Amino acid sequence: MTETLQTPAATEDRSAEVSVRDLTVVYRTDRGELPAVSRAGIELRAGEITGLVGESGSGKSTLALSLLNAVPAPGRIASGSVEVAGVGDVTKLEGKRLRRVRGGALGYVFQASQNSLNPLKTVGKQLLDLGRSHEVEDLQGLVRRARELAERMGLDADRVLDSYQHELSGGMRQRVGIVLALVLNARVLILDEPTTALDMISQAAVLDIVRAVHRENNLATLIVTHDMGVVSEVADRLAVMYGGRIVEHGPALEVLQRPSHPYTRALIGATARIVGDTTRARALPGRPPDLTTLATTGCVFRDRCPLASAVCEEEDPALVEWTPGRYRACHADPTGDRP
Amino acid sequence: MIEARNITRTYRTHGAFTGPRTVHALRGVDFTLPKGGAVSFIGESGCGKTTLGKILTGLETFDGGELVVDGTELSGLSPRRRAPYFRRIQMVHQDPYSALNPTRTVGQILGDPLRMRAKETGASRREQEDRAAELLELVGLQPDGVLGKYPHQLSGGQRQRVVIARALTVDPEVLIADEAVSMIDVSMRLGILSLLRDLRERLGISLLFITHDVATARYVGEGGELHVIYRGQVIERGPTDRVIQAPVHPYTQCLLSAIPVLRGIEEPGPDRLVPLASLDERTDTPGCLFAPRCPFATDACTAERPALVRLGDGAGGADDPGGADGAAGAGDAGDHRHACLHPEARHVVAVEAAV
Repeated sequence: MTETLQTPAATEDRSAEVSVRDLTVVYRTDRGELPAVSRAGIELRAGEITGLVGESGSGKSTLALSLLNAVPAPGRIASGSVEVAGVGDVTKLEGKRLRRVRGGALGYVFQASQNSLNPLKTVGKQLLDLGRSHEVEDLQGLVRRARELAERMGLDADRVLDSYQHELSGGMRQRVGIVLALVLNARVLILDEPTTALDMISQAAVLDIVRAVHRENNLATLIVTHDMGVVSEVADRLAVMYGGRIVEHGPALEVLQRPSHPYTRALIGATARIVGDTTRARALPGRPPDLTTLATTGCVFRDRCPLASAVCEEEDPALVEWTPGRYRACHADPTGDRP
Repeated sequence: MIEARNITRTYRTHGAFTGPRTVHALRGVDFTLPKGGAVSFIGESGCGKTTLGKILTGLETFDGGELVVDGTELSGLSPRRRAPYFRRIQMVHQDPYSALNPTRTVGQILGDPLRMRAKETGASRREQEDRAAELLELVGLQPDGVLGKYPHQLSGGQRQRVVIARALTVDPEVLIADEAVSMIDVSMRLGILSLLRDLRERLGISLLFITHDVATARYVGEGGELHVIYRGQVIERGPTDRVIQAPVHPYTQCLLSAIPVLRGIEEPGPDRLVPLASLDERTDTPGCLFAPRCPFATDACTAERPALVRLGDGAGGADDPGGADGAAGAGDAGDHRHACLHPEARHVVAVEAAV
């Protein structure tokens, strides 16, 4: 159980650990079922960190939760599949088998993991609960592995295991979340807004740790965030979500350098930066759509898009590979010219 | 104008198991906030920056130092006499989702403080309504569309604009913005920041901007000052861009090094620095508060706590503002102060990548 921790990153093992295909998640509302995620496709490969960026209401957290088939009611996965290597289609699982996958093959660090720990139990007790619910026989081995992970993240393991969540700082709680996600040897690590409530120095430390455990365990990692800076620090691949759709997807560095979707371009342009001309930065006009204001026909971004034209009103652009390895869903020219 | 002199705040707690404990939330903070000016406080969580904001809005008391508003020292006044001064200082809360009452419409949210204010100014009902609409327009909202709405019908950015409009109902001269954009969607953050900048320029409102996200402090406008606060002590201060480009205190350097680099567009700064350990507030030291985490600490640092001095002034050195700093291309040092025995300018923030 402990070997995986020491194993150096396997060389170029880029098989897909998770492949999401054509996934649509709908929420039941007064106005009928509205899509929070529409026909999304994404692959998480071992040894790769994928960053999923979007604003609130873009469907990024819903997409991440559907990897566990854990979309809360009144939402449900309407169509599509989530294939996890060695497990099968998670959307078809239920009951005990589904519970075993959650936390087992798929480690999930929840948004504000500060609040996802039980305030009435020490971290160690919660670790044992986790082990029992996953029918781990060797609970001592589990504690040993948790200790190693915790030490690896620069925590005083014994102190942490004996602590209640309020005795730990935000950065420490986030690390505990990662320990609990990985202690059952998950192959896939999903982090939802891992650094949102942290200050800069803790954020940098947590990102360092994510990078290190990712590399050492050859994980397939997904980081869901609204912060371009976080993604650019750690991600190998970058997917941008807007209005429930993945609108751009490709190698992180290339997307940051040459964004091809007007939304990606605007999002980078709207990021407060530590260098450069502050007057050049621009907020996007309008507001991000939510379920009820989402356009039902045409491109979901057209209302805020500087390049919108007649075709955007009628046709929802599909995500296509416009140049090898890079995907975008836009009618306009990738360089930013009008169609 | 607000002037704070040597503001201290100490909390004494007595836990059942931990025993007596003293927490120095603020250890003598000085600053001057001129009319229309901007002062930003940055630091880690727990450094005392929020306490400072609360003290300035009268939500928290201070136990040492002086707070002077328009020439009047407040600590000598009775709470009743103090109240009119705190009216001039209003707070923009961090979380627009919890700062607004969900059961009241925007019109009601603005109506209450306007009515209170009207008791002083004698504004009529009609004038109050006009003022509500005027304020909403000022913060970039359509009064007709928004007045009848409840907070949940608005986006985060719109809610924050309502929070700002509410703060403006009592005609403040100073806004305290404590992490005012950290809960706002990225695409709308700059909109809120430019609104704050606008209020400074158009209404002459002063801004105290409290944040952990240093980059946002650059967007509140010209002439801003940046104060870096660590465990309740200001350890470096100066013109915002100056401190960002040529920080001399190792803590500032660590803090600025931690800002994510937008790879592809930016490259990491040449002298990036990481603190040696994580923050431990429990240990008290007679020396520099940052010494236990500082990569450059010497024996002198653990013996004596350095005071905030002007850059270029050695111990007992001549008054030589910004002369001997050696930071290339940073221009005029302005009033750049630091509390470090071994100040050295390092370039730690990202540089724009050549395209």
